[in-house]
Amino acid sequence: MRSLEFYRNVSIGQYIDSDSRIHRFTPATKYLWLVALGVPAVAATHPTVVLLGFAATLALGLAAGVRPGFLLRGLKPALPLFVLIAAFQIIFGWPGDRSAVLLKLGPLELTQRVLGTIVMAIVRTISLMTLISLFTSVTTEGEIAHGIEDSLSPLSRLGFPAHSLALAVATAFRFVPIVAGELESIVKAQAARGADFGSGRGGPFKKTRAYLPLFVPVTIRALERAEALAEAMEARCYSGGNGRTRYLVYETTTADSWARAAAVAYCAAAVALDLIIKI
Amino acid sequence: MAVSSPVRKIVVSGALGAVSIVLVLFNIGFIPWFAGVSITFMHVPAIIAGVLEGPAAGAVVGGIFGVTSLVKAATQPQGPIDVFFTNPLISVLPRILVGVVGWAVFRLFRGRLTGAAAATAGVAGSLANALLVLGLLVLFKAIPLAVAGTVFVSNSLIESAAGGILTLAVVSAWKGIESRSGRSRLADEGS
Repeated sequence: MRSLEFYRNVSIGQYIDSDSRIHRFTPATKYLWLVALGVPAVAATHPTVVLLGFAATLALGLAAGVRPGFLLRGLKPALPLFVLIAAFQIIFGWPGDRSAVLLKLGPLELTQRVLGTIVMAIVRTISLMTLISLFTSVTTEGEIAHGIEDSLSPLSRLGFPAHSLALAVATAFRFVPIVAGELESIVKAQAARGADFGSGRGGPFKKTRAYLPLFVPVTIRALERAEALAEAMEARCYSGGNGRTRYLVYETTTADSWARAAAVAYCAAAVALDLIIKI
Repeated sequence: MAVSSPVRKIVVSGALGAVSIVLVLFNIGFIPWFAGVSITFMHVPAIIAGVLEGPAAGAVVGGIFGVTSLVKAATQPQGPIDVFFTNPLISVLPRILVGVVGWAVFRLFRGRLTGAAAATAGVAGSLANALLVLGLLVLFKAIPLAVAGTVFVSNSLIESAAGGILTLAVVSAWKGIESRSGRSRLADEGS
């Protein structure tokens, strides 16, 4: 355990409070843009399409008042990975690779296919990292939970439990500080008794057993609290689902409608561009 | 096994999802092994959710775990391997299936030998996590097949055994299964 005081400020992502147009979009619009930029970043086969998404993400970030430097700050620890990716690809190669050899250093060969794989892996990673970073910069935890229900509401007409899923996510967010507090108490209590949580000597099974006094009580306490909450909700005749009103309702504005149309158009254009380049 | 109410399933999914988030955010779910390699048990809450509350709960907790690891990989990467997990097909999709696999294996025992069923579900869920994540890493050309095979043999088999031990411990404590040393005290403690 590096520190016993790491549970004080729990936050997921890195929300930046601002009144930009991007921040004011409804969560469903933000989710739609996340998917519209994420699908080409994951599925595109050409680096140009992925880089286009990366540029669009940086532009949206500037519109939201989030500096590119802030979005890209996660890249520094990732730099060794890019070297590792390149080394793996060059050392192990791909079976049946008949593409042109660009560089030869003793037994190691940098072929066109290997170079393409390295470039794609790196631009894909940078693009996704920036996109997720931007999404968490402009979306609060509450919006993340509510946005799930709003985004999946079309599917709820087909029987998909969008409300239940959103409630489970909202419950998880509400439980995080409680679980973190429990964990801190247990870590301190166990550390006071000389627990080393697997850093001591011994095989993997002994080290796993050392984690039992930490993992089991935390999980059991979370289950006990969940049981109490479920009973309280059932006692209040909570049934969820259809017809249930919500305290917080997000109004879809004209700007939201335009932004959603633009997201769909962007995604379609990116997929089409990828197909055209492939041909 | 008693049938759980929908509200209970939702709330238990949320609570175990929170455990998963905390394990990911604070990097607690790692057990140091040898040569700087760590084995992880961050996926175990998803298996426990599958065993206790069914496939939907397992999928939700697995999904929460996957999305948290994706956000963490993108915003605060701790090491080189983290960055692979910015791809939702690698970080989220396999994790959704982990709890479902745990539930399916637990169901195979048809309510008998609960302890053995929980341990087997923990092992199977962990194996599914390792196989799916490594398989997708190879599919996305992040690592070659030879590296994936080495990681599976050196890391994932031990990780599966650890997953089995932790799942057995929690399910036994929660269900109050008798052991040689008597009934788990945790199961009787009040909240």
